[in-house]
Amino acid sequence: MAKEKIQLEVNGKKFNLKVNPDELLVDVIRNDIGLTGTKVGCREGECGACSVILNGKVIPSCLVPVMKADGGKILTIEGLEKEGELHPLQKAFVQKGAIQCGFCTPGMLLSAKNLLDQNANPTLEEIKIAISGVLCRCTGYQKIIEAIRTASEIIRNQRV
Amino acid sequence: MEKVNKRVLVKEKEKSLGIPVFFEELSTVGKSKIRVDAYDKVRGKLQYGADLECPQALIGKVLRSPYPHALIKKINIKKANHLPGVKAVMTAEDIPGQNGFGGIIPDQPVICGDKVRYIGDGVALVAAETEEIAIKALKLIEVEYEPLPAVFSPMDAVRPDAPKVHENGNLLRIAKIRKGNIEKGFIESDVILERTYTVPFVEHAYIEPDVTLAIPHPDGAITVKGPMQDPFTVRRNIASVLGILINKVQCVQTPIGGGFGGKDDSAIDIGTRAALLAWKTGKKIRMEYDREEITLSTAKRHPMIIQCKIGAKKDGTFVVFEGMIFNEQGAYASFGPGGRPAGGVHIHAVVMLPGPYVIPNVKVDGYLVHTNHPYGGAMRGFGAPQVNFAHESLVDELAEILGMDPYYLRLKNCFEVGSETATGQLLNQSVGLKDSMEKTKEAFKWDEKKKLAPDQKGLKNTEKRRGVGMAIGWYRTSIGTSSDGCGANLHLQEDGSVLLYQGITEMGQGSYTVLSQIAAEALGVTLEDVRVVTPDTDIAPDSGPTVGSRSTTLMGNAILIAAEVIKKSLVESASELLGVSTDRLIVKDRLIYDRDNPNRFVDLKEAAKQSKAMGRRMMGQGWYTPPKSSLDLETGQGSPYFVYTYCTQMAEVEVDIKTGEVEVIKIIATFDVGKAINPIMVEGQIQGGIVMGLGYALMEELVLKEGVIQNLNLRDYIIPTALDAPEIIPIYIEHTNVHGPFGAKGIGEMPNIPTAPAITNAIANAIGVRIYDLPAHSERVYMAIRRRFEKEI
Repeated sequence: MAKEKIQLEVNGKKFNLKVNPDELLVDVIRNDIGLTGTKVGCREGECGACSVILNGKVIPSCLVPVMKADGGKILTIEGLEKEGELHPLQKAFVQKGAIQCGFCTPGMLLSAKNLLDQNANPTLEEIKIAISGVLCRCTGYQKIIEAIRTASEIIRNQRV
Repeated sequence: MEKVNKRVLVKEKEKSLGIPVFFEELSTVGKSKIRVDAYDKVRGKLQYGADLECPQALIGKVLRSPYPHALIKKINIKKANHLPGVKAVMTAEDIPGQNGFGGIIPDQPVICGDKVRYIGDGVALVAAETEEIAIKALKLIEVEYEPLPAVFSPMDAVRPDAPKVHENGNLLRIAKIRKGNIEKGFIESDVILERTYTVPFVEHAYIEPDVTLAIPHPDGAITVKGPMQDPFTVRRNIASVLGILINKVQCVQTPIGGGFGGKDDSAIDIGTRAALLAWKTGKKIRMEYDREEITLSTAKRHPMIIQCKIGAKKDGTFVVFEGMIFNEQGAYASFGPGGRPAGGVHIHAVVMLPGPYVIPNVKVDGYLVHTNHPYGGAMRGFGAPQVNFAHESLVDELAEILGMDPYYLRLKNCFEVGSETATGQLLNQSVGLKDSMEKTKEAFKWDEKKKLAPDQKGLKNTEKRRGVGMAIGWYRTSIGTSSDGCGANLHLQEDGSVLLYQGITEMGQGSYTVLSQIAAEALGVTLEDVRVVTPDTDIAPDSGPTVGSRSTTLMGNAILIAAEVIKKSLVESASELLGVSTDRLIVKDRLIYDRDNPNRFVDLKEAAKQSKAMGRRMMGQGWYTPPKSSLDLETGQGSPYFVYTYCTQMAEVEVDIKTGEVEVIKIIATFDVGKAINPIMVEGQIQGGIVMGLGYALMEELVLKEGVIQNLNLRDYIIPTALDAPEIIPIYIEHTNVHGPFGAKGIGEMPNIPTAPAITNAIANAIGVRIYDLPAHSERVYMAIRRRFEKEI
């Protein structure tokens, strides 16, 4: 199959790539761009480990044909920290014990980031809904929810 | 020496049974330290198996049987072999060593030669330059099968005329308990209750798929990397299959994205197959099982049919228990059977079935039976979640019949220090069960809520009804065999930092952190001073498997022993530097000081430097052998596991009468963990285990039709999401385990065990109908409600 030229902006950096048009976004992110923080768990959009933020929306990148993302802005887990400073969500996940095996962590963090970008003061129910697309088999979600609440407080206080 | 050591000296305490001295006041142990891998994980920097770069590697694939039971008449690999890009096509005859792998018995063919026993059995292996070519090659392999009659239930499989899954027949193991006289017991009982419970196959559903990188070396040695729960068993299997010495096989663990027992089995499966292809081609092999392949082919939690009969006095005193387990092993043995005397899922299930109760007369028979289904293996709880659902449902219903509060019925009969188990084991220490019940009852406000619970009448008038339920449980620490020993090496560096070489794997449960905490505490250094070297069978002492909730306790003890050796060298050096005799020196918080004059001290790193300079010992080796396990094969009498963790869980649910849907509102659970080495991580184990237990209670079930799994991916195999997870309040209590480091015992599996019956008992409390089969999904609950309606009308 002939390769196609596309451009992706990933974590603020532009990438001009030649890809097979039938490739999926997750594989391009992992293999062509080399950002392996985004995980593959089921390849059918159920587990959410591959979640990234594409043009302001959380999507399972295993379901997105890469051509659909052409010209798009993508945020992956590697783009959450700014100049070595962790995002409040990352800090809260560490402090609150929200991480066990870590495989769902990228999906959880990006789902939470997207929520807090749109709603800095979410209710418990809103948090649960926001992360319900990401499966975690280790934590029982409690400490993840707690971490997101803590981060939302910190973010709100920063804005004041 | 101008600084002042403000440390208040606390008295040392000798630990019994050869475990070294420890302090009452602890610096690192007992603190909620941040897990050592947290930052790498939260930054997306940790390299899991699938992230290992290896562009030159060939891709390995398995051709799988579409039949549950069939003879292989002919295999033609010519076309596949001629496909450009294909580097190897292997069939059974290409295996240099033993054609079989398995956790306990190597009965599963690496490549089936004459017969397949379940859908998913491996029939051929392919290595090719790309995944596309490998998949194409699989399609070009021509296999001629002769389908055989298959057997899909353990009850059918024990019939004399049943199709034989294996040559030796379908009955793989019988396990028994014989205590007292059950006939007499039933005569003496005022109330007798008999019930049958069923539990299905369930999937581990770890989120990280299985993956392996196999690297052949010119001298015939081989390296295999991947997420494995027990690199040592993977290594042993690869050596047998390749027909080489164990010391030629190196297994290196990559960070595990969830295991729950599953990667104990699957790592053997994928590891031996990738190693074979690497041996054959002389090239690196990358092999990955995708989600559906994992569900199709790897181990599950055993399904069971459990018959129980209990007899009690009018006042609730338990007199007698009789149980029978039909435990479905599926096609291969995996961890169903185990090493003597008490290893394996099956014996553990039999030992656990009478529950944590004092019962003078007990008879249990357990039959472990092959079928043509996928196979049961190790999964969190190792046979206990199944039998706990049975005994906790039974005891709850008995309370109803006796007109007693199920809490007080349990309290009257459950274990305490001095109790004797059904196997005749005297529980002489660390039994915090009653304490856990009391703590949970208080936090849950059981007495109050129980009064408020519905009177179980007039279902028609209410749309949603709330109910409360509880369950208690026990779970072993250790594996119950003689091969439960555990080794650790600590290497002291001249700056006082330490490397810890050991073989317990990290799969999210936090072993690196907890073991580092133990090492730091024992050596008198800080957590940052200890680094765990990735488990690698070439350099780590054989530590056995990371299973059985054994890691903290057994490896912790090995580390304490290793630390004592180094401490001796450090103290000798400090003694030289301070001019104080060694018996007066205390090592703590990076300092070594005089116990009689704490202001007389030296930095630990100075002592380390001195040890190095003087050629003193810089490494410590620790080997811990746990107390011997015993269990008589005929009577089931003995002490199979040296210590147990106990817990109580209480659940509040809301049942939708119109749909049968169950929402779990709240769970409060208390665990006797001996000692919480890292409290926040103990809480994490509790919450995570409980939500997994909620899945077992309400939604998880592998649906099989004629041996075909109907729900291969996570779209259809439903596990709990954040929306299903209730509020969970974890509580822990510490009834010191004299055999544990700082008093600890296992916590990994216990939380997963009594959740299902706590929830189903709450459902019964809400709607007045009992659920005897898991999962209690809405359809099943709805039908139960319907049956009650019909009775009422």
